[in-house]
Amino acid sequence: MIPDRIIEQDTLTTDGVRSAVEVRIPWYRALPGSCISEVSFAVDGVQAPVESLRWTMNGRTFRLADLVDDTDQWWFPLDSAIVSGDIPLATGSDEHRVDVELKLYIPYIIIDGGQVLRIEEHDTKTMPATTKEVAA
Amino acid sequence: MSLGAPIQGVTLYSFTRAFHGRQYDLEQLVRKVADDGYGPGLEIIGFSSFRGFPEIDDAFAGRFRDLVDEVGLVQTSLAINADIGIHRDRLLNQDELIEYMRRQIEAAAKLGFPIARVQISIEPDSMERLAPVAEKHGVTLALEVHADQYASHPRILALRDRYEKVGSPFLGFTADWGATTTGFAPSLIEAYRRRGASDELLAKVVALWDEFFQAGPPADQADHGQRFGRFIALGAENGRPDLGVDFGINGTGLFGPARVNDWLEIMPWIRHVHGKFFGIDDTGEEPSVPVRDLIRLLVENGYDGAISSEYEGWHWNHWQSPFEIVAGEQAVQRSAAHDAGSQMVTDAAAARVQLAEWLGERRGSTRPTTRGAHA
Repeated sequence: MIPDRIIEQDTLTTDGVRSAVEVRIPWYRALPGSCISEVSFAVDGVQAPVESLRWTMNGRTFRLADLVDDTDQWWFPLDSAIVSGDIPLATGSDEHRVDVELKLYIPYIIIDGGQVLRIEEHDTKTMPATTKEVAA
Repeated sequence: MSLGAPIQGVTLYSFTRAFHGRQYDLEQLVRKVADDGYGPGLEIIGFSSFRGFPEIDDAFAGRFRDLVDEVGLVQTSLAINADIGIHRDRLLNQDELIEYMRRQIEAAAKLGFPIARVQISIEPDSMERLAPVAEKHGVTLALEVHADQYASHPRILALRDRYEKVGSPFLGFTADWGATTTGFAPSLIEAYRRRGASDELLAKVVALWDEFFQAGPPADQADHGQRFGRFIALGAENGRPDLGVDFGINGTGLFGPARVNDWLEIMPWIRHVHGKFFGIDDTGEEPSVPVRDLIRLLVENGYDGAISSEYEGWHWNHWQSPFEIVAGEQAVQRSAAHDAGSQMVTDAAAARVQLAEWLGERRGSTRPTTRGAHA
């Protein structure tokens, strides 16, 4: 729906071992944690291992598995969430290619067979990395 | 029956990219709606615009209502969501869904909206059970008839028949014009072209949609699913499998192929209208939504409720201003109402009185008994 907005320009940070980027919801309304189905994060083609991914929103950091049952924490359309994962990176003026893919359940749209619609949205942007502590 | 004079208005959904892009916050957007004259009717989606929805604290609600009063707009519908799939492993049962809706109906009342737009997953039994909740809070529940459904769809007729049986003035429908379109939106075709789709493929997409239009709306979910599948196949067979699902979602979910007079099946229960549209062409007209015919139908059937202009082309049209496009569509509405011998109501004070009467007449005394009278 709004995939061009997923990655926030110039928000790539790294502590050398882990890296992070700010992301926006590619949808028009708030969705709860339970609707965040899958997340992938890569820098320069290096994919963060799934088990290393963390999701920070509303001032709290979650493992993706912790979001599965969470219908209390909502991702509001104006808020940036932070995706972080194990991607070693050097800081400096070099430009890096950042890729984020989000798969989100849309909880009011039921398609054939009682399945909930799941959208898959991808964004790619290029930016330098700055040094900052990254959630683990 | 005397001619209707619908209330002009807009849903902030039309300006999603401007809000999501942080160009306008909620207050700035409400002020712009008033300043630019897209009202007086104002519709808002709860989960889009209100942080923490459906929890709304009293102080915020007070500030919001003061803002609306100050700028001279008239609250019409709060769009609320039937999130039946909110859990990963199962759908909500209807008891849970009723409770989920009850909290949002309370939020609508607190924020001052007289109508709550609700959605299709709420079954007739549950609408009946929600009627006393609606009555208690003074909020009319207007279930949205949205493609791929349409007024004469079996699920909608089942709701209509239940409304008639229950006789509550607080139950009705929101008619979304996307159920009755006449073409695949040219601006979306242009967007696909910009994504590298060939003219040959796009001609096939248009032809497939036209074939479905000739056949009329899908008879049931299975028919709908088959049509969806044919759009997917079209992408796959023409070297663009990446676009197939998009063709299907839009071709079946945005551009509904029912005829305009299909709305007569539920006309006495239409309480609110989503003036869904996708673009305005060089001649100043909407090329794929028969806005003029829809306005005439509403006017001739005495519709005095609000029409929220609901611009949906923002999904793909990044090259034109949504504000100018909404202004263009509302000009068509006004012209069409005039041609039908009436007018759109654009004065806030008049609209406020009219909307209260429109909903109040139904709440106060007679239940609709004219089923089929216009069909």
